[in-house]
Amino acid sequence: MYRKTAKDYMLDGTIYIVLIAMGLITLLPFVNVFSKSVSEEWAIMSGQVGIFPVGFQLDTMKFVVTSSQFLNSLWISVIITVAGTLGSLLITALTAYPLSKRELPGMGFIIVLFIFTMMFNGGIIPNYLLVRELGLINNLGSLILPALISVFNMLVIKSYFENLPASLEESAKLEGARNLTILFRIILPLSGPVLATIGLFYAVYYWNDYFHPMLYINSTSLKPLQLYLQDIVMNADTSSALDKTADDLMNVPAEGVRSATVIASTIPILLVYPFLQKYFIKGVLIGSVKG
Amino acid sequence: MTKPFKLISTIAMSALLVSVMAACSGNNGTANNESGSTNAPKTGSEATAKPDAPKPALKRLNVWAGEDYNVYPVAKLLEENTGYKMQTDMLPQDKWAEKLNLIMSSGEAYDIVTSYSDMALYSDYAQKGALVDLGPLIEEFGPNIKAALKPESIEALKVNGKLYAIPTTVTYEINSSILIRTDWLEKLDLSMPTTTDELTNVLTQFKEKDPGGNGDRNVPLTIKGDQSIIDNIVGAFGMPNAWNDVDGQLVPRVLDPSYKDYVAYTGSLYKNGLIDREFVANKDATAKEKFASGVAGAIVVHWADIPALSESLAKTKPEATFAFVPPLKGPNGEFGFAANAGFDRLSYIPKSSKHPEEAIKWINASLEPETFKNMAIGVEGTHYKVVDGAYEPIQPIFTDERNLANNFMAGTDETNYPQYWQARVRKNPVMFEAFDFLNNQQPAEAKVTNLLGLAPYMQQYAKNNQQLNTMIGDYTVKLIAGAESIDGLEDFQKKYMAAGGEASSKEVNEWYATLAK
Repeated sequence: MYRKTAKDYMLDGTIYIVLIAMGLITLLPFVNVFSKSVSEEWAIMSGQVGIFPVGFQLDTMKFVVTSSQFLNSLWISVIITVAGTLGSLLITALTAYPLSKRELPGMGFIIVLFIFTMMFNGGIIPNYLLVRELGLINNLGSLILPALISVFNMLVIKSYFENLPASLEESAKLEGARNLTILFRIILPLSGPVLATIGLFYAVYYWNDYFHPMLYINSTSLKPLQLYLQDIVMNADTSSALDKTADDLMNVPAEGVRSATVIASTIPILLVYPFLQKYFIKGVLIGSVKG
Repeated sequence: MTKPFKLISTIAMSALLVSVMAACSGNNGTANNESGSTNAPKTGSEATAKPDAPKPALKRLNVWAGEDYNVYPVAKLLEENTGYKMQTDMLPQDKWAEKLNLIMSSGEAYDIVTSYSDMALYSDYAQKGALVDLGPLIEEFGPNIKAALKPESIEALKVNGKLYAIPTTVTYEINSSILIRTDWLEKLDLSMPTTTDELTNVLTQFKEKDPGGNGDRNVPLTIKGDQSIIDNIVGAFGMPNAWNDVDGQLVPRVLDPSYKDYVAYTGSLYKNGLIDREFVANKDATAKEKFASGVAGAIVVHWADIPALSESLAKTKPEATFAFVPPLKGPNGEFGFAANAGFDRLSYIPKSSKHPEEAIKWINASLEPETFKNMAIGVEGTHYKVVDGAYEPIQPIFTDERNLANNFMAGTDETNYPQYWQARVRKNPVMFEAFDFLNNQQPAEAKVTNLLGLAPYMQQYAKNNQQLNTMIGDYTVKLIAGAESIDGLEDFQKKYMAAGGEASSKEVNEWYATLAK
């Protein structure tokens, strides 16, 4: 067996240090925004806040997370994310399951139809007109319905289903189970890892989407968090002061408030990751088929 | 892995790129009608005290504000005083014009739309027939509107002889000047500069004697990268506005004979290290940072920026005091600030409105003098008190209940509003002092009105104005920083004329000739 020499350890050590340093660098902007969110405004204004907070305080954060608009937008975002993710997972799995069966007639053609929508779509204006004709303008449905299925995610689930042992289904059929029972009682419970991964994709998409709400939502009370955040952050851009009246300038939210809003709206979706982590690691299939 | 998987995943991966870029993936197979709450205007206004015919609920689209219009105290006041229930949506902060275009073209049934004053956008809507002609409606239902607006405002907004919008006019004249550290002046036994030569001297002393003890970081005057036209100094060279009268013609700065002198002066300030060496790279926040941390002796800012600067400076340099520099006299004795004229906001009624008459009645009711005053500054004794004839806000209730009041206005009482409005500036005494110095204490001749502010819509000018201004700004930066030589001015002028300067100039001066008569 090869034994590491002192030189190897040195080399390894250097690589680790360099990589860790580079990893930390990507974290710096986030840390900077976080520090600003808990620093005194005068310190931010005079450029003293770098990595560490100056004049630590939590009043700004408290002000942000207790503002009624923030809470309302947070609530809207949670509704969209939860309803959207569940709906998307359901529709995606329901589409993927039949397509994972090789005996499905005309399968190649159906797949091509799906792939086609990945390459081409109507564009923003036809989409807008469609959503308007569906009566979904200014309705949360406009943020969920058009995004219910992503073909890419469907294909990932499909190929996962294809790799499940066929004998599982055969034995279930022998026991008298019908197709839906097989899907919901056997296939889906065995698909934890892929559903968790795809669910996370969907959740992050719904959470981070600001473009569609910007188009479809007009009411203040229906604005999701990203839109609220964008309004707060863009407000400070006084370089476009042509549009701004003195009243607007007097009301520009402080840098600290903006930073705190950014942090407060990032944390919830970050928290989802650790909870889903275990599904990525755990191999549910191990031991399900003997022999 | 099996072959089909590989194939599919390759296709899928390449397709992912496409779908990511399109930012909008998929289409729906099932018509899953997620019926949320349809946001139909709510009927039944219980708060109406007036017994006459039931008033419909109105829908308004307004500019972005930091709080929800519908729950802000002013909304309730207006509902009580006008008798109409109003549901207000707001435009986004960023790219509001795009969103507004989308809404206008999709025919959403808003009764009143209030946007920032974008003449090009407004006249475009008007010419395409998207707006209701307000003239007859105001004649019939709008006595308060007629009383509140000045004739020149109405004239400036007419498109093809018809009025389609009600303006909110600007409330003050002067924006910004050089803010200078007066404690540095005292320390060096200097007096406030009143001419460009004195300014040079003061900045030189700031540089050489370093009164702030900043060493290498010391900056006499900081500006931001896009601020090559320095307010106040540019007035000393007779070009306070973007277009100035030269022998009876309106001329843009870059064609102005004084432009060379201005560039020579500011260029020499830069060359001698009196203007921030890094100014080209300075963002708004960087320049402010330098002043707020006590490194810079002077900065060019809007008076509304002062509260943040002063609060920060009080912590970093408690001994610091500052004041605006009065209008500087140039080598030829010229001086002055650009004075705002024109409009902050425009309110109009789109053709898709279901209740245009009611909308005008609402605007009319909001301009009833007592209602308007209450909307603007509240109730005497509760929100404000009168001190020496001026309106002083009572805090914190004034900020809590009236801070966003300006956003609710569709038209203002043009005679009285500037006075009411100053109560908003008095929220911060330091800011008011600076505002007062620039706006109330300067002689009339130091305020040079921006004539184009009240000019009617001019197609070429509206189309090119912003781009040409950017062009001049960028070119001036290069001249000041020494990246271009003034010898190339003629070439630049030709480029400027070709890029729309000529067409704009012709149009502007045709209008200017009619004005002079």
